[in-house]
Amino acid sequence: MRNKKFVLLILIPAFFHLAVFMLMPIIGSGVISFMDYNPLRTDNAFIGFDNYVRMLGDKVFYKALTNTLIFVFSTVAINLVLSLTLAALISQLKSNKSRSFFRMIVFIPCVAPIVASSVVWGGIVFRTKGGLLNMIANACGGNAVNWLGDANFLMISVIIFTLWADIGYNVILFSAGMDGIPAEIYQASEIDGAGKWRQFFSLTLPLLSRTFAFVLIMTLISQFQMFAQFEVLAFKNGPQNSGLVLTSFIYKTAFVYKDMGYASAISMFFFVIILVITLIQQRLSKVKWEY
Amino acid sequence: MKRDKANRLFIFVILMIVAVAMVIPYFAMLSNSFKTTKETLANPEHILPQEPTTEGYRKVLFEAPFFKWLGNSVFITVINTVTVLFTSSLLGYVFSKFTFKGKNALFMLLLSTMMVPAQTTMIPSFILINAIGLYDSPWALIIPAFISAFGIYLCKQFCDEIPRELMESAKMDGAGDMRIYFKIVLPQIRPAIGALGIFTFMGYWNDYLGPLIYLNSTERMTLPLALSYFSNDHAADLSAVMAAAALIMIPVTIVFILFQKQFIKGISMTGMK
Repeated sequence: MRNKKFVLLILIPAFFHLAVFMLMPIIGSGVISFMDYNPLRTDNAFIGFDNYVRMLGDKVFYKALTNTLIFVFSTVAINLVLSLTLAALISQLKSNKSRSFFRMIVFIPCVAPIVASSVVWGGIVFRTKGGLLNMIANACGGNAVNWLGDANFLMISVIIFTLWADIGYNVILFSAGMDGIPAEIYQASEIDGAGKWRQFFSLTLPLLSRTFAFVLIMTLISQFQMFAQFEVLAFKNGPQNSGLVLTSFIYKTAFVYKDMGYASAISMFFFVIILVITLIQQRLSKVKWEY
Repeated sequence: MKRDKANRLFIFVILMIVAVAMVIPYFAMLSNSFKTTKETLANPEHILPQEPTTEGYRKVLFEAPFFKWLGNSVFITVINTVTVLFTSSLLGYVFSKFTFKGKNALFMLLLSTMMVPAQTTMIPSFILINAIGLYDSPWALIIPAFISAFGIYLCKQFCDEIPRELMESAKMDGAGDMRIYFKIVLPQIRPAIGALGIFTFMGYWNDYLGPLIYLNSTERMTLPLALSYFSNDHAADLSAVMAAAALIMIPVTIVFILFQKQFIKGISMTGMK
């Protein structure tokens, strides 16, 4: 259809909005990363690549980067294995009702604000004295652990929390993928004498590769951007910055220390990471997946 | 056959253990919210409160501006959801059914904004919001949210499925483009609108980073931000903190359980988070 007036009437305000609230901030972030920018000053000078040079020599930045990578890769790996396993187990149940019941239960934490569930976990699950985890540890004869106050345990705690809070999405996505596989394929393989394990590895997994690639990339991107649980669970970035990740480093540098130029440089670096993952995804989605 | 049954029982037991692990924090939250903080600290092994109290809830509801926070959350979330649904469906319709110069380039530009993380745009956005005088106003969270690239993309996918003849016959009957949008496009893309509505609502209702950056005064906060503020302020009062968390988490959980089918269909349809 054609209707120039109608199209312009809609596109002009929409793209004006996009230019002001999306494109300008993206370009702005690049510009500010070359400035010594403090919002409380009126005079903010251009300093060339100084912020980037400073970043490359900043020990705290490397700490945040390492923590981020450790957090993202462990969460993503454990999340994928667990959610795939759970989806496969749920799909083995005979009744529709119990299948939807378990899918619903694992999804419950996903609907709550992460801040709220972090507050709950910080207050009653991870508490050193009388917290749920330590009570379980004591009951099993183990020692109490200072989950949030010990540099060796803080990241593990945040990972456990994030898995609990976030795994439901992927269980649902894998379940939907498994439901899409025609039942005849399984019947045929049963006639050929394949057991359940064999079916899972030689049929389900390969047939799920498209879903898997999609879930992997989306989970990677979302874990990189996790923020709220670190603000709540890692008090003042945790002991020896053990709970400091890039998102909270950018936030604090910009809004607590008002060092917006430096924070923008780190945010540009962060953008590049996300961009690379997205480009890999676009490559992957062009690959032909065959059933 | 017998082995099959044993296997399924085994699977059922594992899944039950997982299910219990998923809901235990909720149960503990509720139980602790009705305990006095003294009891929680002295006898953490009590599963249920010995002397149940609603003191924590009283503190949250009547000593803190809880209803203001709730009102702020409702105000921002409702306006954002309605506008996003409207702009997404309208732009999805335009990009799907109209031909115009530069269409593909504009659509690609729109999609490419989706991969920019919020952390990259938040600093200039903050400066901009500050400059136009919206800092510490709910409009700081509303005006930038008018357009959703993902929403437009999703609606366009669904508009692509509407048969051309349906629109052409409406045109023949003299319907204008806006009339076609209301009478044909909107009803046809209902599933997309439903899913997008749920997730837009959830996204803004649960948003923490936006309010954290743009809001400052206590009485202007939204619920998630207010909770983190409240829990820092009452760190020693576990009973009140758990009551506040429960007041935020339980309603969304109930809404989810009531509409679980739509939620789950929405996720598998859009792959959205």
